[in-house]
Amino acid sequence: MDLVTVKGLSKRYGGIVALSEAAFSARAGEVHALLGENGAGKSTFIQILSGAVQHDGGTILVGGRDYRPANPDAAQARGIAAVFQELSLIPDLSVEQNIWFRHEPRTLLGTVNRTEMRRKTLALLEKYDFPALRPEQELRRLTLAERQIVEIAKGLAKDPRILILDEATSALPAREAEWLLKLTRQLAAEGRLVIFISHRMAEVRAIADRLTIFRNGGTVAAHEAAAVSDDEIVTQMIGRHLDRLYPERVPTMTDRVALKVGNLTSGSRLSGVDLSLREGEILGVGGLQGHGQRELFQALFGATKASGAIELWGKPVAIGNPRQALTGKDGIALVPEDRRGQGLLLTKSVRENLTLSVIKRFTESGLLSRQKEAALVKEMVDFLRIKAGTPEQLAGTLSGGNQQKVIFGKMLLTQARVLLLYDPTRGVDVGTKGEIFQLMRDLAARGYAILFHSSDMPELVHVADRVLVMRNGRIAATLEGDYISEEEILRAAMLETRAA
Amino acid sequence: MSVEQTVARAQMPTQMKDTRPGIDWRGRALDRAPFLVACLMLALIVAIYGSLQSGVFTLDELNLDTAAAMTLMLAATGQTIVLVRGGIDLSIGGMISLGTVIAATRFTDDPSTTAFWALAILALGFLIGALNGLLISLLKLQPFLVTLATWSILNGVAMIILPTDGGSVPGWWVGFASGQLLGLTSPVWMLLALLAFWWWFRATRVGIIIQASGSNEKSAFLSGVSITRVNIVTYGLSGLFAAGAALFLITQTGAGSPTIGKDYILPSVAAAVIGGVSLFGGRGHLAGTLIGAFVLTLIGNLVFVLHVSSYWQPVASGVILLLSVLASSVAEKAARSRVL
Repeated sequence: MDLVTVKGLSKRYGGIVALSEAAFSARAGEVHALLGENGAGKSTFIQILSGAVQHDGGTILVGGRDYRPANPDAAQARGIAAVFQELSLIPDLSVEQNIWFRHEPRTLLGTVNRTEMRRKTLALLEKYDFPALRPEQELRRLTLAERQIVEIAKGLAKDPRILILDEATSALPAREAEWLLKLTRQLAAEGRLVIFISHRMAEVRAIADRLTIFRNGGTVAAHEAAAVSDDEIVTQMIGRHLDRLYPERVPTMTDRVALKVGNLTSGSRLSGVDLSLREGEILGVGGLQGHGQRELFQALFGATKASGAIELWGKPVAIGNPRQALTGKDGIALVPEDRRGQGLLLTKSVRENLTLSVIKRFTESGLLSRQKEAALVKEMVDFLRIKAGTPEQLAGTLSGGNQQKVIFGKMLLTQARVLLLYDPTRGVDVGTKGEIFQLMRDLAARGYAILFHSSDMPELVHVADRVLVMRNGRIAATLEGDYISEEEILRAAMLETRAA
Repeated sequence: MSVEQTVARAQMPTQMKDTRPGIDWRGRALDRAPFLVACLMLALIVAIYGSLQSGVFTLDELNLDTAAAMTLMLAATGQTIVLVRGGIDLSIGGMISLGTVIAATRFTDDPSTTAFWALAILALGFLIGALNGLLISLLKLQPFLVTLATWSILNGVAMIILPTDGGSVPGWWVGFASGQLLGLTSPVWMLLALLAFWWWFRATRVGIIIQASGSNEKSAFLSGVSITRVNIVTYGLSGLFAAGAALFLITQTGAGSPTIGKDYILPSVAAAVIGGVSLFGGRGHLAGTLIGAFVLTLIGNLVFVLHVSSYWQPVASGVILLLSVLASSVAEKAARSRVL
């Protein structure tokens, strides 16, 4: 009999449907993999199972009984524990305090029984052959990989019937990742159900008995792992897409290199990135979320410290902060991810937003030239087709798409000619999306060089001239011409590297 | 994990204790750097004080100085719990004032009446603190703002009860502070009791949960901690200790004062910071705070024996606070650079 049966599960956040009509079933003693793109609904699904959020519709049966946990504690009481990516560990507590947090063995005085806690810790670590950990060490001294291992220990300390591993291998080096796969099999052999999420196809292949595929907030298929091919899986993950949204891809790039980056490295998030962006080119940056895309954009804009060589229009430059990136003609400008927080002053007018950072340009002998300002603002509003009643309308009252256009205008007025667009269409309606893509094409034709990241893969496929795929802070592949497709991007992001 | 370590583990399969090289002494020293700096400061101040004044290294002096510091120590104990939680409590100023005026207007020579009101003040302290915690959680407001507001409210109530300094406290209550056992006065015993309390409290589940919530609130929440309950207990304890500070303070002043509490708000934070308690939560020990309270108190003595204007006391306190903050931030940076 199935240990977990899920039918018609749905979850909304306000107007956004995160999960609809999801179905799932899994048996005790199996490793069940969940597959899907970012935002496909996997996260919501396991958050519901682990009690972090509550579902709006549908039913979950665990061991034949209705299951609707109000919080993670309630989930644990039913024998379900989750090992999350955003770690639930406390930096200032020791490894063992973290493992037994809120479940510590106690003395008669109500204090933690350290001897007993140490004994239980060592017994647990030994039982599952954990990589060496020092129980008394403070967590903040540990590497990311070690923390992930502690998180796994914390999950196992609750002796769960169902263990959820959310991309637990992604932070682990090869040897430890292998250990985790072995552990997963061991747990299944003990009769537990392990729900395993990974973007690495090879791992899924190695350990999963069955798999369920998510797409667009729902489940699309469930398979016995042995009975399905990699290609079928990838096709089901992507589904079909409409593509009339995108402007014709007219190559406008020249031979002139606008931005050349060598061995750009920043902590563990960005390691040895090389890229070269040409005048008139739209260079896409893709890959699964959290593989260094954000750090790359921030580093190029000087918002994150990074080492490496950067050449701008053939000249070596040092970019220590955004001011240096923006300096002078033909500099670098960024459209940030969080435009409300970082890019736009919502309580200021369209005009003020456009001209705030370039106020020097229409100042004559210390005085503001209103005429010059008005002319520039009008030019920009017309060029971008910003739909605002007057330039004095407050930016906060514009639609998402028009707000984004104001940020584009602000960026263009800085006279930067290398544009870093980080997910510029996020939260923008479809119509305006089309306009933004057309605008990007127009700018490329005018000799701008554009580095473009989108969390929506089809956008990269249809807008970019070339696509860099990032994995683990590196460029895993560079796709050109006919090779630019969602399949190839996913393959490069998840599977072994092909020749770049 | 290196090959050697793997081999080492394979050879002792039942013992997985420390397969990695010895204890991280440098890391531990860096962690304790602010506390060690505070100890050094105290030693230096005591040394200077002792060279200028005779009889500093006696039990009498210890008794005197501890009595002078005890109100601050009690207030700072509550503050330390709140700081470790990652918050701040300004309302202790109002609670201390309110406590002294209630005591000065209600205490009588009858011990049972006085005991009733003393307990009532402690209970009130806990309740008001708990209310702070509840407001912070329910309204999702900054602890700074909520406790600033309650400080003002409590202050006002204290003024209504007793508009000017006055009232009276029974002699036997005042005498408590000079009561002796084994040559040590009751404030010194209270100091030891505070240390024992902390030794116990930080090892309890509640203590660990409070520390964890200050270290990383989101992680604590994900681990099933009720942040609302944590706030109620944390600020409740802070209010309780503020009430205790008020009850001790009247042994020193013999009267109530509706304004005296404000003199303890910032020093309670300063004592904790000098003692190495992090303003960002998660880290700190009461021993450091108590040393910080001694440092701040002895600066007063030092200014006195140096025969300079007493206005130099806040100047010196400020300089010492800056030095402590500097020491902890240098240590923090050194520690952080090793992690990444």
